[in-house]
Amino acid sequence: MYLTGWTVALAALGAVPAALSQSRGVAFAWMLGVALLALLDAWLAPRTATVGVRREAPASVRLTEPTSTRLVAGHVGGRRRVRGVLRDAWQPSAGAARTRHRFDLGPGEAATFATAMRPTRRGDRHAGPVTIRTAGPLRLAGRQRSVEVPARLRVLPEFASRKHLPSRLKRLREIDGSTAVRLKGAGSEFDSMREYVIGDDVRAIDWRSTARRGEVLVRTFRPERDRRVLIAIDCARQSAARVGDAPRLDASIEAALLLAALASRAGDRVQATAFDRSERARAAATGEQIMPLLAEALATVEPSLLEPDWPALLRLAQSRVSQRALVVLLTTVDTSATDSGLLDAVAALQRHHQVLVASVEDPEVAEMAAGRDDAAAAYAAGAAARALLEREAVAAQLRRLGAEVVLAAPDSLAPDVTDRYLALKAAGRL
Amino acid sequence: MSVGRESLVTTDPGPGIAARARGGRPWIVAVVLLAAIVALLVVTSRPSDYTPLSTENSTDTGTRALAQILRQHHVEVTQIDRLSRAGIADPAATTVVVANPELLTSGQLGSLADYPGDLVLLGADDSAFAALGLPVETALGFLPEVADAACQDPDAVAAGEVRVDHLGVRATAGGDVTVCFAQRDGAGAMARVEDGARTLTVIASTGLVTNGRLADLGHAALALRVTGRHPDLVWYVADGFDPTLLTWAGDDAGGGSGDGGVGRETLSELEASPDFLPPGTGTALYALGLALVFAAIWRGRRFGALVREPMPVVVRSSEATRGRARLYRRARATGRSAAALRAATATRIARRIGVPRTAGRADLVESIRRATGRSTAEIEALLYGAPPADDAALLTLLTALDALESEVHRP
Repeated sequence: MYLTGWTVALAALGAVPAALSQSRGVAFAWMLGVALLALLDAWLAPRTATVGVRREAPASVRLTEPTSTRLVAGHVGGRRRVRGVLRDAWQPSAGAARTRHRFDLGPGEAATFATAMRPTRRGDRHAGPVTIRTAGPLRLAGRQRSVEVPARLRVLPEFASRKHLPSRLKRLREIDGSTAVRLKGAGSEFDSMREYVIGDDVRAIDWRSTARRGEVLVRTFRPERDRRVLIAIDCARQSAARVGDAPRLDASIEAALLLAALASRAGDRVQATAFDRSERARAAATGEQIMPLLAEALATVEPSLLEPDWPALLRLAQSRVSQRALVVLLTTVDTSATDSGLLDAVAALQRHHQVLVASVEDPEVAEMAAGRDDAAAAYAAGAAARALLEREAVAAQLRRLGAEVVLAAPDSLAPDVTDRYLALKAAGRL
Repeated sequence: MSVGRESLVTTDPGPGIAARARGGRPWIVAVVLLAAIVALLVVTSRPSDYTPLSTENSTDTGTRALAQILRQHHVEVTQIDRLSRAGIADPAATTVVVANPELLTSGQLGSLADYPGDLVLLGADDSAFAALGLPVETALGFLPEVADAACQDPDAVAAGEVRVDHLGVRATAGGDVTVCFAQRDGAGAMARVEDGARTLTVIASTGLVTNGRLADLGHAALALRVTGRHPDLVWYVADGFDPTLLTWAGDDAGGGSGDGGVGRETLSELEASPDFLPPGTGTALYALGLALVFAAIWRGRRFGALVREPMPVVVRSSEATRGRARLYRRARATGRSAAALRAATATRIARRIGVPRTAGRADLVESIRRATGRSTAEIEALLYGAPPADDAALLTLLTALDALESEVHRP
């Protein structure tokens, strides 16, 4: 049961007879009458089971993009007309704007309501119960009851770094184009023969074919293709820490998406894994089909409060890639790397593969290191300098092992990682 | 509209009122029992009264003892909270006691002056004396003291001696008044005027009628004789909030009261209270107060339960570094901070001028000397000198390191 504002208005109207009669008894009797009238109205209201509901949610939506879910309500019982309000409840971070919908259904009628949403967090957003209010004939009160109608909206990672994709693709094509006239060498492989045009490097002329065909032919080369790229996202303890407004994991996911988009267009075979003590998500496909798979797989990955198990990742990498591959570790580089076994794992991986370790750097620590205002700022600068030195030392150790290290602020991690990938590709180190 | 009707979900029918009543029987019994107890308590309880001089007040400042004794001697004691409720049937057989005369309005004093029966004032106030035509004035005594009757009034003589408080009364020059229990400096505890048929009595030392002092000296005798002359006693404690006038039988419509010919005993409560707000405001507010209960239910009823959502932990990644900064500060670790800052500066400079990480201290200092032009000793002192002694030295060192770094140019 619920009351409407009309009941309150009617009760407040009781002040008039109370003032005229100057009797508290009259006021009390009026209120009692209003209460009885409201109870009667609630009793007369149609049962909530008269209205049947169904939810139709879209399969997935990208974070920060608007969408809408539909709520279908139908009159399923009796011959009385039923009026009321529906509440389409969702978890708060689903960003449902207007969740209340008025309905007025005759027998056999149905109506569809759209609830606009703009999710504010990645992952699966679940719907709450649908609450049905049916109004009584006097509009003073009515019946209210909730019914569970399960629904789920999968919110995919934002992939804000896709704005960097066109420029990186251009760079990729530049590498592509430059190798067409380049000598065979590191980072390129034989593509095809074509006729010599003026401007081609004469060293590219293939004399044997020229002799056979009677016209001058040059060999063309293209960047290496069909290399393996394994992206490993560390979703353990350290990935939960917030840098700016978002956890480290979000920056890692952005970097993974951009790298996968670029590498798959470059013709490489990309697979990705998110792990802490065991594998949490996985995506592998050839070509550009990797993107939807990867977004879907990474949508529900949340940081767990566990230590990462690097030897397990080592075994995982060995079972997944047999050939030489680029292994990208999106993790955190700090002093804990020595204890947790990251260094050992990188050393072991580097023996067969090329390792790229990428870590989100906290701009706040850099700010602290630049503080000069007072004694407190000076001590903060000292502590920040110590932290940066320690991290630098670990990064140097990783570099000594032959791994590539990228340390970048959350916004620039994704472009920096792809730039390093392009540099490795151009140098033929994949 | 084509809707898959069979896929629509409906609410459970619920257990129904009868089933719910059966299930909640203990609760219903408990609620009814609680309501009954509350009602009983409300009906039987009496509001406690702490107003000084009130006959309902049983503390030391009240006058309940006096009222009880009078009732035992068949005097009908009625305490009124509004003067208009006095409703005196026979002024000749009624004593009116007014406490706190300083809080009476001039209209009330006028109605008291017109009242033909016996009047007792508890307290002293010059404007009240003037309005009632009493030839007395207030007098302040220096210290409370016990005084003899020292007058011819039979009640005072019977009482013997009473304690006189700070506040007393003194006869004005040429007035026909009996002042009793006068202190040495002339302030008396009681004054009495025989004004034709009625007697006006002032008891300035109100302490002597209170529960606390009634048993002392001759207080009881005086109080009982003054207030117990007639079979009816009307007791009024002025509080300054009641503007109504005294009413009594025989105060007829035209009867020289000078208030526009409206008979006082015919005044309803409504007309006798010249309130600022229109009549019925209180009841209307009461009704609105009750309506507030409906408003509370209206707003308080939730439209379905809140939906729970597991939230992620919020730990800032810089938290550990900040913690270390606080530790440094608390421990005044100038040495450690300076070492870290020097090492960081040296690393940055070395990277900028291209000195390898493996280079030794001498190589680095030499390279910096060439890049900045500063002396070797100066650079040595800055990068490898003694740890600063205090906060000020740390800040100075920090500034010097920044200056050195800004001077480094790529060779």
